[in-house]
Amino acid sequence: MANDITKNRKAILVTPENCIGCRACQVACKSWNQLPGIKTKNNGTYQNPPDLASAAFNIIKFSEVPSQENPVRWLFLSRRCMHCEDAGCMAICPAPGALYRTAEGAVAFDHDKCISCKLCVNACPFDVPRFDEEGKVSKCNLCADRIGAEMQPSCVKTCPTGALKFGDRNELISAAKKEGFATIYGENDLGGLGTIYAFKDKPKLYGMIENPTIPSSVIFWHSYLKPLSLFGLGGVVAAAALHYLAIGPHKEEEEKKEEV
Amino acid sequence: MAEMIRKSSVDEIVNHWILAGSCILLMITGYAFLFHVESIGSVLGGFNTMKTVHNWLGVVFVLSLLYSMRHYLRDALEYDADDKQWFKVAGGYLSHKVKVPPMGKYNPGQKLYYLVILVFGIVIAISGFGIWFMKDNMTVMLISHLVHNIAFCVFVIAVPVHIYLGTLANPGTFKIMVSGTMPLSEAKKKHPKWIKSVGKV
Ligand code: HEM
Ligand code: HEM
Ligand code: SF4
Ligand code: SF4
Ligand code: SF4
Repeated sequence: MANDITKNRKAILVTPENCIGCRACQVACKSWNQLPGIKTKNNGTYQNPPDLASAAFNIIKFSEVPSQENPVRWLFLSRRCMHCEDAGCMAICPAPGALYRTAEGAVAFDHDKCISCKLCVNACPFDVPRFDEEGKVSKCNLCADRIGAEMQPSCVKTCPTGALKFGDRNELISAAKKEGFATIYGENDLGGLGTIYAFKDKPKLYGMIENPTIPSSVIFWHSYLKPLSLFGLGGVVAAAALHYLAIGPHKEEEEKKEEV
Repeated sequence: MAEMIRKSSVDEIVNHWILAGSCILLMITGYAFLFHVESIGSVLGGFNTMKTVHNWLGVVFVLSLLYSMRHYLRDALEYDADDKQWFKVAGGYLSHKVKVPPMGKYNPGQKLYYLVILVFGIVIAISGFGIWFMKDNMTVMLISHLVHNIAFCVFVIAVPVHIYLGTLANPGTFKIMVSGTMPLSEAKKKHPKWIKSVGKV
């Protein structure tokens, strides 16, 4: 499933501690990707829209957790596609080119090549892909067009606090480690994520999944059923050829001649 | 001209070719999805059309499969002592010297083949409809995807065996699926019990 780890693999480093929940990143993403607004209802939280959507490639998750010093602690977590190295979405997708890897290691999508089967979201450990009115895949592509032109992703560029950083993946990780963050979420998960998080607290506190994995049925299918479907056919054709040469077809000629 | 006996009715022949045609096209497009074979996609004008083609061929396939039950199901469910013996001599396929026991209209290999195609055909259709229509149910999608591909593996093994046995391995058999008839003399040798049951001895 792994592709070659590109030497210049780029990543977004999220440092939730520095996030002030301003959601400028949400606006910047919409603006660059020309995504329409979504009508939502107030459901008692600042989190809006409530989840990723075909017109919302990133959101800030707001969560309230118990705290010792204060009545409550308010946590902000920037969520988007993780640009997994072992990307379940790419593995399961039956349409070539609908999801593809860019030179920077991002998982981008091609609206026209998507066949709207919605398999990808079911193989994604992070429930990321969403679908537009035509049923076509729609998600963060790490601003493939911008980073391809040596620009920063729109959300990163606009972030006023440095909670979002973009750059060489290895450099981001070592810098965060130097700053003393206990956990770099995504350093090794799924072959290494392209959206990584620097945490002092337990990632779980922020609602991150522990040990994200591609569904086992998808892994089984990819590593056993796909090869079996090829070797099965090849084996039968080879066996038939062998049978034909070594043993040969049923011969009815002799009997037939007697009866004619 | 040798005297002929009808083995397959016209509707059976027509249905067989609808079944075979749809199945083979489903397998080809299925491979194209699995291995991203762009050339197969472009023959059909892209993967979007290919998806539509694959899905609707699936409908044709399953209707044809259900209709085929009237032709084969009753035979396929009956096995006797000769059928057991047939397996012991591997149907005579591994050596021409063994004595193949007298057969009915179909040998047990064919009968089992039918049951395999019927069961896994229904399975692949149900799972196909699962992927097609239950997009928002993760459990159904993942199970369907897995089951669809398990059944696919059965098809890519069973179908080419069938094609080989229906053509090269048994010269003359192919004609049954074209004209529906075979020489009576040959039928008496290969299918004595069937000939007896239709009173042609
Ligand atoms: C193009 C390739 C194929 C050829 C040349 C072929 C040939 C034949 C022939 C000659 C028979 C008659 C056997 C007899 O009456 O003794 C037959 C029967 C049959 N065929 Fe095919 N076939 C092909 C493809 C398929 C496919 C793709 C399927 C199913 C998915 C299929 C399903 C059946 C079934 C169910 C029977 C009934 C008898 C049995 O169970 O063997 N065939 N075929
Ligand atoms: C002999 C019959 C069939 C064969 C051999 C077959 C084979 C395949 C294969 C190999 C795939 C690609 C698997 C993947 O990448 O997930 C596939 C996908 C699919 N098949 Fe089938 N299939 C058959 C029948 C059907 C039927 C009866 C239906 C529906 C009625 C169906 C609907 C689908 C759907 C929806 C997909 C997912 C990709 C897409 O949405 O186009 N298939 N099939
Ligand atoms: S997070 Fe989901 S959509 Fe993004 S690359 Fe990973 S598997 Fe694909
Ligand atoms: S919905 Fe589109 S991107 Fe997702 S798996 Fe299907 S074809 Fe691929
Ligand atoms: S990288 Fe680009 S597409 Fe992804 S969330 Fe940020 S602005 Fe949106």
